[in-house]
Amino acid sequence: MKKKMHVFASVLALTLAATSLTACGSKSGTGTTGTASPAASAGAANSTAKDTITALLPPVSPNYQKNFDQMAKDFNALYPNLTLKIEPASWEDVKQKLDTQVNAGSPPDIAFGGSDGIPKYIQQGLLMDITDSATPDMISDYDKAPLDYMRNGKGLYGFPAYMEVHALGGNKEFLEKAGIDWKKVQQNGWTYDEFRDAIKKGVVTENGKTRYGFVFAVKGVAAVDYLGIMAKNAGMPYAFNNDMKYAYTSKNYLGLLKDLRQLIDDGSMPKELSSVDAGKRWNMFLTGQTMITGKGLAVFENSAKANNAKLTAKDASAVKDSIPVDYVVLPAPTFQGAKASSAAVVDGYLTFRGKKEPTAEHKANVVKAAYFLASGKVAATTNNDLFAAHITKTAKKEAESMKVDRNADNVAAVENMLKNATPARSDIPTDLAAKAIKLETEVIVPKFQGLIAGEVSPQQMYDAVKAAAIQAFGEDGIVKD
Amino acid sequence: MADIVKPMKRRKIRGEGAWGYAFIAVALVVFAMFTAYPVVSAFLISLQDYKPLGSTYIGFDNYVNTFKDALFWKALRNTVVYTILTVPVNLILSMIIAILILPLRKKTQSFFKGIYYLPVVASGVALSVVWLWIFDPMEGGILNQLINLLGIENQNWLGSGKTAMFSLVLMSWLSSHGTSIIIYLAGLLGIDETFYEAADLDGANFFHKLWHIVVPSLKPATLFLLVTGVIGSFQVFQNAYLMTGGGPDNATTMVGLLIFNNAFTYFDFGKAAAQSLILAVIIAVISVVQFKYAGKDVEY
Repeated sequence: MKKKMHVFASVLALTLAATSLTACGSKSGTGTTGTASPAASAGAANSTAKDTITALLPPVSPNYQKNFDQMAKDFNALYPNLTLKIEPASWEDVKQKLDTQVNAGSPPDIAFGGSDGIPKYIQQGLLMDITDSATPDMISDYDKAPLDYMRNGKGLYGFPAYMEVHALGGNKEFLEKAGIDWKKVQQNGWTYDEFRDAIKKGVVTENGKTRYGFVFAVKGVAAVDYLGIMAKNAGMPYAFNNDMKYAYTSKNYLGLLKDLRQLIDDGSMPKELSSVDAGKRWNMFLTGQTMITGKGLAVFENSAKANNAKLTAKDASAVKDSIPVDYVVLPAPTFQGAKASSAAVVDGYLTFRGKKEPTAEHKANVVKAAYFLASGKVAATTNNDLFAAHITKTAKKEAESMKVDRNADNVAAVENMLKNATPARSDIPTDLAAKAIKLETEVIVPKFQGLIAGEVSPQQMYDAVKAAAIQAFGEDGIVKD
Repeated sequence: MADIVKPMKRRKIRGEGAWGYAFIAVALVVFAMFTAYPVVSAFLISLQDYKPLGSTYIGFDNYVNTFKDALFWKALRNTVVYTILTVPVNLILSMIIAILILPLRKKTQSFFKGIYYLPVVASGVALSVVWLWIFDPMEGGILNQLINLLGIENQNWLGSGKTAMFSLVLMSWLSSHGTSIIIYLAGLLGIDETFYEAADLDGANFFHKLWHIVVPSLKPATLFLLVTGVIGSFQVFQNAYLMTGGGPDNATTMVGLLIFNNAFTYFDFGKAAAQSLILAVIIAVISVVQFKYAGKDVEY
């Protein structure tokens, strides 16, 4: 029996040793593949072997998904050995689908998503760094600012599709009736006090119904947008300052919370604001229940125009009780003397890998597909559809022959805001970013909902955020001023 | 003894016995694949810092962190409050509706059964949209229009911590009786008429018959609905997710929603698995207690 045990133990030990060696061997193999030399990448880029690239794409713009077949055909015409297989998804389930696939270890090669999701996917280890596969021609095609949003540390994790600013939107007629020089605001911005006075003037009660000065969608996750956009203009462009200290413990944050609560107490915003979601606030805007709404994107001008056309044509599908609206792009106000820092949103084509390390050839093919989607004709068509600025030279050139019906004042206003856009931060470590997201979801959003419902005071919310920040980042990891 | 055992080992499975094992095997395979394996897998994940490319074993840290997490206790308290407010009231309402439907003609009975069962087969998302309209905090909200008639000012039903939980409870009170009514009706139809005749001879009124015949006769159905109701209520997720997102200030965050957030918002599958198993244990303990105390004199 003893002898048998010895033999069994020896076999087991040898098996374990062999497994470890195999593991080491495969690790070194993957390492080589993962850090392919430029020469190898160049070779891979010229490979003509057949390959299929999968892409999970939501309806990025109103007509985007209608063009999928043409996009796949054009890609195949450009690279006859490659097939672009597009999986369409709705906005409602694209994130869920992607997250499920990522956590199962089998994401698509490309997925459309926000650059703010990059740290989260890096932590899962499945986002693919394409620094060594993206050619200099591809890189030089992009404006620097949006491309930087797709970076984390030294890595590049996809190509940006557009760079937009989160702004506010106003009803031109109501703004003028309230005596607000909206063109001046578009050019020079406004301070919190100016904004507060303006939206007070926008409150009108007629036939027992109130039109508010300002309504922002804050229900659920939209609460992050409101607070986030305003925080950037209150001297806190990111959750971490340049010394990597958590910024939302500064006195500016408390001041911002007091200011935002004050707008409701003034009666300029509805006291039921905490129940207003994105759909509701847009409905309120189109039905004349508010003078200014947020958040606003340039494409909302297009939506307003579409509804105006339906009203003119007496089309029954126009929003019920809506009125004709001239949409005016407005910047968010600045708080406590801080410099304007427009909230930029950069979405794009994120590149993923599976559990198995991709070959250099496949990686190069994924990069070709991501670049195809994020530049040239595809980007020009999509961004025009979105009223978004073009961020590649190739798209700008393609767009020259395309006609877009956009208000010139709004175009100039967006350009002004883009000049002040918050620059990308690729230096924030993924573990800190993940902790900040958790703190935001578990403490900031619920407390902010309580604050706008009038059940949590600004001081109580500030104290709760500070206590959670100390727990997450330590006493030395937060801003103290 | 050994002689007795040996022939049993060699015995072959033939005829009806073989078919029996074959049928059990199908159910066993399905159970093993879709119930046992996920549970075992969840337990193993709960001991790890889960990552798709390679998890790290961390022992019981996920359980320890869960018990230290104030939000978990708040979510558990919310879940208990929701259960206490919804399950008993729903049972009473279902029983009353079933008793009211019972004397009706068969066609009318079927009509009402269909009406009350409709929310069970309707999409939860579609129902939530209707409820969001009912709870609209502005003038257009149906519930606000109703309370305005009573001279009460508009309420921010889902946006205020004072009314958000009540709103979810009200939603449950008014829309989840279909299954219970069908089961209670089946139970009521199974009560022997002679019990009522004997009670009539003894001069019993409606309430005497209700208390001494109907309620005891429906006890097996009530126990079944109580146990399944509590289990369902502890696992509630959809209403909070779609209606309030757990807010405001986590006033409606239930354990189910917390587990979902840990898994799909923070990708912390280890903690989510640990919380799922803790919830399963809590549900199992409550179910055992219910069977022990409420089910001791139940006859099937």
